[in-house]
Amino acid sequence: MESILIAKKEITNFFKWDVRFIKDKIFTGFIILFSLITISPIVLIISKLISMGYKQLNFSFFIETAPNTYQAMLAKEAGNIIPGGILNGITGTIFMVFLASLMAIPIGILIGIFLYENGTKRYAKIVKDITDILQGVPSIVLGLISYFWVVKYITNGFSALAGSFALFIMMLPLIIRSTEETFKMIPVSIKEAGFALGVPYHKIIFRILIPSGLSGLITGILLSISRVIGETAPLMLTALGSMAVNLDIEKPTSAIPLLIWEFYNDPNMVDLIWASSLLLMILVLGLNLISKMIISKRNL
Amino acid sequence: MISGEKITKIILFLASLIVILIASGMVFSLMQGALPAFNEFGLKFIISTDWNPTEGKESYGALPFIVGTIATSIIALLICLPLAFSTSLFIGEIFRGTKLASFIGMMVDMLAGIPSIVYGLWGFYVLRPWIVAMGFNEQGYGVFTAGLILAIMVIPYATSISVEMIKMVQNDLKEAAYSLGATRKDVIFNVILPNARSGIFTSYILAFGRAVGETMAVTMLIGNSNIIPKSLFDTGNTMASLIANQFGEADGLKLSSLVAIALLLFVMTGFINGLGKMLIKKI
Amino acid sequence: MKKIAILLVTFLFLWSCKNSKSEEKLENEKSKPVSLTAAGATFPLPFYNMAFETYTKNTGILLTYGGIGSGGGIRSLKDKVVDFGATDAFLSPKEETEFEAPVVHIPTCIGAVVIAYNLPGMEGLKLSNQNLSDIFLGKITKWNDAKLIATNPNLKLPAMNISVVYRTDGSGTTYIFSDYMSKISANWEQAVGRGKSLQWPVGMGAKGNPGVAGTIKQTVGAIGYIGSEFAFAQKISFAQIQNSKGNFIAPSLETISAAAQGDIPIDTKVMLTNASDANAYPISGFTWFILYKDQNYGGRSKEQAIETVKFLSWIIEKDAQNMAQQVHYAALPEKVALQAKEILKSVIYNAEPLIK
Repeated sequence: MESILIAKKEITNFFKWDVRFIKDKIFTGFIILFSLITISPIVLIISKLISMGYKQLNFSFFIETAPNTYQAMLAKEAGNIIPGGILNGITGTIFMVFLASLMAIPIGILIGIFLYENGTKRYAKIVKDITDILQGVPSIVLGLISYFWVVKYITNGFSALAGSFALFIMMLPLIIRSTEETFKMIPVSIKEAGFALGVPYHKIIFRILIPSGLSGLITGILLSISRVIGETAPLMLTALGSMAVNLDIEKPTSAIPLLIWEFYNDPNMVDLIWASSLLLMILVLGLNLISKMIISKRNL
Repeated sequence: MISGEKITKIILFLASLIVILIASGMVFSLMQGALPAFNEFGLKFIISTDWNPTEGKESYGALPFIVGTIATSIIALLICLPLAFSTSLFIGEIFRGTKLASFIGMMVDMLAGIPSIVYGLWGFYVLRPWIVAMGFNEQGYGVFTAGLILAIMVIPYATSISVEMIKMVQNDLKEAAYSLGATRKDVIFNVILPNARSGIFTSYILAFGRAVGETMAVTMLIGNSNIIPKSLFDTGNTMASLIANQFGEADGLKLSSLVAIALLLFVMTGFINGLGKMLIKKI
Repeated sequence: MKKIAILLVTFLFLWSCKNSKSEEKLENEKSKPVSLTAAGATFPLPFYNMAFETYTKNTGILLTYGGIGSGGGIRSLKDKVVDFGATDAFLSPKEETEFEAPVVHIPTCIGAVVIAYNLPGMEGLKLSNQNLSDIFLGKITKWNDAKLIATNPNLKLPAMNISVVYRTDGSGTTYIFSDYMSKISANWEQAVGRGKSLQWPVGMGAKGNPGVAGTIKQTVGAIGYIGSEFAFAQKISFAQIQNSKGNFIAPSLETISAAAQGDIPIDTKVMLTNASDANAYPISGFTWFILYKDQNYGGRSKEQAIETVKFLSWIIEKDAQNMAQQVHYAALPEKVALQAKEILKSVIYNAEPLIK
């Protein structure tokens, strides 16, 4: 009798275990399923861009400026691919990102160093908080600010400078924070050794801190560039766009995302959006990949 | 003579002033621009549902857009929650340290890299027809569609911070639980979650903050009608997408109202991010 | 120390870039080739893109056009951030008083707003004035409404809901449409009125012409108004509209030009909607460039002013007007082109006309 009871208990225990085990399996299954759902958009988006855009990605896509509506319309009616390319967008994106970097990198690194050096002081903490707030400001608001400041008062017109100023405010907090984080990881002893040897402060910065944190700085810069390179909304309000290649900071300039927006808005050119988006994606992912490679090298 | 060290310090200090100048200048410009709207409508601006730009009957209010912004962001958060939670467990616990986990992690990072306008195009040409095909509404635009694309956009932000938080949970705690016969599910719910809870919560707050300010993709999918959406599949508008839609042609009182909305948006994102940062500091 | 000095110089350079622009500008202008910037209406965008590109190729003068909407064109000129603006709605007297100096309008071509719809297999829908306004006011909600069947006895209209689609961004297209609606329906004028963006009684919004066109294309039962080029290029069906003589007219180059056959005021500031010509398509309209009458403002050089006027007089002449027709806009009637030329002659720089 007693043995039967024990056996019964054993069996129920076994089944309890089993139920728990199954529940655990189901739970893990859901986690895997949901993770796959999470990453499915990236597969879907990239395959859509490739399947719709590869036809347009020919040599002239990179060396010719955007076609006009009529050329596109004729090509479309004849069933050909749309002639021309997005050279004006490519040069504009590079130009404006370059200008933004020219402002954001030195200023960002200096402020990053300032925060690293004075991190515990009250004022530095305020600067840090403000940097965080700036990082959270929606890009459309930055575009609006750049319109009020640069378009209206500095270049007296839509301009590459205005576009890059908006991108600059976007990049700045990212570079500041990555600089600070990078320097925090450098052993303090290196810096102290420098001080002990009587090396001047600025030399410690340029000869010790920056070289030993270089890979971290570059990673931060690349990631900040990849964040701003696809920005559309602030450029719509500031850089306006241009049919031709423009390298004058006071004149309106195009950019790849701006061209995508224009193509989307023109019924004859809508086929060009896929190839342009594909190129933009390749640029963004390429920058991410390079910075990943730098990080993994550093960690070795 | 001032020493070199002093000069360096001064330069660093001056550089730090730039951040303060930009931020305070921004607040000043937004306030200055918003002033005419607040003068005209007072604080009623925030609770008024009117958005009537017809000349002679001009009247503006921000409520439809505040509601639209919060609604889309909450939908995004609700969809993002199970997905980001699962993915962060996948990367940070279940397959931690494996090639598979780093592959999934890479894919999630790629999601963060996709520009807003590309999400918008994909949403317009792929997602929207699905919504129509599933019979949710007749044209596919609306608060839900916008929330869905926002969810995909903010998942990486929630995931990456959650992963860090989950990884931070001490190993010996988990091992103790396993040795007591706990299953993985038990460990996740009884050990990891209680320990990483506030961190994971913060990651969702920050993701919410991102969703609030997204512009292009939302503009292309929400339907842009300046009313308070009555259902999930009704069209509406968010603060950011309203500015993107109408800033280009706005003037006078309308321009000022848009700047006022930008100011509200600035305050809102500042508040959400500040909250998130405060919580993260506590951890 | 040297590196800090370099950094400092970079800073100074950057600040000077920002601050001393105005002085630099005067010096630069002489050496740089002239370039012109314009922004505004999206309605004629295909035509402007083509014309601007051709002109740049022929003359080497860099022209830029930004399609940011008619209201944007007006504000850009007011803010003096463009050389000239573009709009589909002429400035109201109230708007003109907001400008610091007098502004002139130069018409460039005539476009039409078409009522596009999506009912597979049903071409040539006829909309009477009454039915058109009832649909957009939400009074007719079904495609098989008796009033619609009455004017379309040959179409088997389905028992479907009508989904009205409208533009949410401010646009000249909306202005032309609502101006027409206000002329044909007192109810509309009362309840909605005219404007570049409106408070709509029914329907859903989409951004830009492509947004509306795309929505209509993908939604069976939808109806909306778009620039004619979008309906032509994307092969969307459009309705025949009843004009002021009671005829049902489909939009085409001929019927659109017919709208401008009547007398046009000297300053060309007139809406062509509901024109009196028997063959006129009633929802047609001029689209204009706007510029300051006195071109000497904000440090503009005389050269800049001359090139502006030169380009504007080119765009109203034959070559450019032929281009407009290639992308489905109607050319300016000859007498309107002459009127536009006269207006250009009145544009001055230091009290001196820029062309004769």
